[in-house]
Amino acid sequence: MADVVADGDLDDVRSAPPAGEERRLTTSLSTSVFAVLIALVIGGLILLMSGENPLTAYSAMVDGAFGSNFALGETLSRAAPLAIVGYGTAVALRAGLITIGAQGQVVAGAIGALLTAQFFENAPSAVAIPAAALGGALFGMAWVLIPALLRAHFNVNEILSTLLFTEFAALLIEYLLNNPLKPPTAITPQSEPYPKNGILGLVVDGTRFHFGVFAAFAIGLAFVWWVRSDRGFSYDLYGENPSLAQSLGISGNRVIINSLLISGATAGLVGWMQAAGLLQRVYVQIASDIGFFGLVVAFLGGATAGGVLVAALLFGALQSGGLAMQSSEGIPASLSDIIQALLLLGFSIRYAPQIIRLTRGVMANFTLIGKRRA
Amino acid sequence: MDFTLESGEIHALVGENGAGKSTLAKIVAGSIRSDAGSMSLFGQPYQPSSRREGAAAGVAHVRQQLSLVRGLTVAQNLQLGRPGAPAVFNAAAARAEVERWSDEFALSVPAETLVDDMPLAVRQQAEILIAVAWGARLLILDEPSSALGPLETDALIALCHRLRGEGTPILYISHRLPELAELADRLTVLRAGRVVVEGADVRAADLREVATLMIGDVTLLEVNRPEIERGPIRLSVSDLSVSSTQEVGCHGLDFEVDGGEILGVVGIAGNGQESLAKALTGQVKLSSGHVLVDGVDISGSAREAIAAGVAHLHEDRATGLAAAFSVADNATARHVGSRRFTRFGVRLPDKIARHARELAERFQVRPPDPAARANSLSGGNQQKLMAARELEKNPTVLVAHGPTKGLDPEAAKAMRDRCFAAAQAGGAVVVISADLDEVADLAHRVIVLYRGAVTDAFPIEDMTSERVGAAMAGLTESAGATSG
Repeated sequence: MADVVADGDLDDVRSAPPAGEERRLTTSLSTSVFAVLIALVIGGLILLMSGENPLTAYSAMVDGAFGSNFALGETLSRAAPLAIVGYGTAVALRAGLITIGAQGQVVAGAIGALLTAQFFENAPSAVAIPAAALGGALFGMAWVLIPALLRAHFNVNEILSTLLFTEFAALLIEYLLNNPLKPPTAITPQSEPYPKNGILGLVVDGTRFHFGVFAAFAIGLAFVWWVRSDRGFSYDLYGENPSLAQSLGISGNRVIINSLLISGATAGLVGWMQAAGLLQRVYVQIASDIGFFGLVVAFLGGATAGGVLVAALLFGALQSGGLAMQSSEGIPASLSDIIQALLLLGFSIRYAPQIIRLTRGVMANFTLIGKRRA
Repeated sequence: MDFTLESGEIHALVGENGAGKSTLAKIVAGSIRSDAGSMSLFGQPYQPSSRREGAAAGVAHVRQQLSLVRGLTVAQNLQLGRPGAPAVFNAAAARAEVERWSDEFALSVPAETLVDDMPLAVRQQAEILIAVAWGARLLILDEPSSALGPLETDALIALCHRLRGEGTPILYISHRLPELAELADRLTVLRAGRVVVEGADVRAADLREVATLMIGDVTLLEVNRPEIERGPIRLSVSDLSVSSTQEVGCHGLDFEVDGGEILGVVGIAGNGQESLAKALTGQVKLSSGHVLVDGVDISGSAREAIAAGVAHLHEDRATGLAAAFSVADNATARHVGSRRFTRFGVRLPDKIARHARELAERFQVRPPDPAARANSLSGGNQQKLMAARELEKNPTVLVAHGPTKGLDPEAAKAMRDRCFAAAQAGGAVVVISADLDEVADLAHRVIVLYRGAVTDAFPIEDMTSERVGAAMAGLTESAGATSG
């Protein structure tokens, strides 16, 4: 029987969406461009209110992001890890999964890379470097393995479990850098310097543009292959319509586990890049906010190859440009934090229905557990 | 249509799918307006122009698709959208109110559990409870028992009796005749939008006769059913059982279908058809039994089902297509995992588009544009696109679930011809449908499903209203045994 159109008022509020709706997690180009423009305008308004000229500020930012070899190197070395995390997250997003655990996987990857590099301390660089990269990727995968299995076999939501594992990673690295991995002479928590034979050199001297940045291009190419591959298509199909995919013989569990493992591996690779290239030592803050902003980059880029690249460059430029603007114009670099935060906020609101439903469910379960105990 | 509901009675409204039961319910609730005629409620003229007005007058409509908001608790649902609710949600008061009503009706509706975590039967109780708490003076329950098991149905009947005890009249819409004998006081039968029987006493009524009236005359039109040559058995189902938390499963099904034969599976929607379709296409783990295609067991493996040449026309086009994907991607999706359209694992878009265009033309998908999105096509063309994907090669077994549902005559004829063509090519065809005319047009033989079990089986020539009606409504001895 046909449903009736004139069915109004109460129903709008009270009808639950049919299962399977609101699944699409990938954003359109217009949404992303609009989000960036709004963030820039709001940032400009904040500048106006504090008596600065937004045009001066933004031009100083652009100059600081692209105006010199040093600036370009900064932008690229910041954009590269965001792009890699973005591509990995995009694979999961396209399969309908929201993994927000990249932050912890970067940390795990850094630890993995350091341990592997230390193991190969006396090997030639041609062995030590790829081995450490592999070690980082494997540790990143290991860090998402349990959430992936839980999601596949018990339908435990991946947002929560991956976030929880990020906390575990933070605790683990704090322990390791205060105890077994800490050099006897160090005062603050940190590791020994990264083994010399594993270090990624600079492409251009006087910048921080190191060879690890090229990993982003490799991952970008791999992503282009993935979205055109038959396997990638089957994962996309699962993300679009899981029951159809399963009726066509695509295993849902395999899609879930593999796409999360891919995202873990890429994040782990970033951990290696940061440890072996940028910082040449492992610190507690090695992941900075790369994991979280990498997620925004994936969303903002619409989980497409070109989109993620542009979004990563935008974030890299915001970060390096913000710092340069602070030193040249005296306008606080927090402006770029504000713009990044606005973008993050915008996308949180876009996906709020899914996230709220989920966290409420968890809270209600906690209350129930409490009641049962009492 | 004339119809009266007396206070303190449970009035059953029965009829086939599409007989006008839900339309009548919506008119009473205010969701849609009648084109002509008038209503009065408790002696007052009653002309609601919206569901909100109907609710304000005390009419509550509990639908098949429950309207509780997921992600919220029962207490929160109680207050959400409630007329005159305070602007700020008072958790303690709402909880106390849910508990009070729950106690009053001897239910166990938890106030602070998320709706998502409650079984369907409890959700339904919660919805009825909320309706009563909002001050309903007249309840409309639309097919409340369609997804409930026997024990849950008993609990629902007890709740209805308690409500009747309080003086609330209930309009109870159902196709399940056996439970009405226990539940209802009077009975009205609708067919094709008309009242066939009005207000008969349920206890005095002959339910078999009611079932026949519900169905009306089954007309075995001599459609141009082509001559089809019979082959050996292609599909063999033995002791098939599926248990499902989502819907009625299947219990102990045994049947065989020859090559060139079309088997009709009839039954009112929600009696295990979905589980059967999934079982025959390898999409669900069986709790017992086997599905053999040409002697190969494909139970529980969609991959093997596809390899064995099983095709599936999904009942719902929304689940049977990747709506946001292109015609080309949809038409060739069955080839995923094969190497037919790939080189070094990369898909070859031109080759795919060329092949999709050929398929779209062969299956008359309009427009046959490989780049168009599937959801930009009309319903009939979406159905043809699904057929193009599934029937590219002659299937060994075709499971067609409601193949002509909601299609215009031209598209419906095209789909019927696809089913005949599959049989003529030697395939075994299973047409699952709630539409008796559709089955009458297509099938050689019919089995009837009621609550997941077969209640009757006969060749199409023996299909009479009495026989089908009784079997669909669960009025056969074997039905009594399985549902009792």
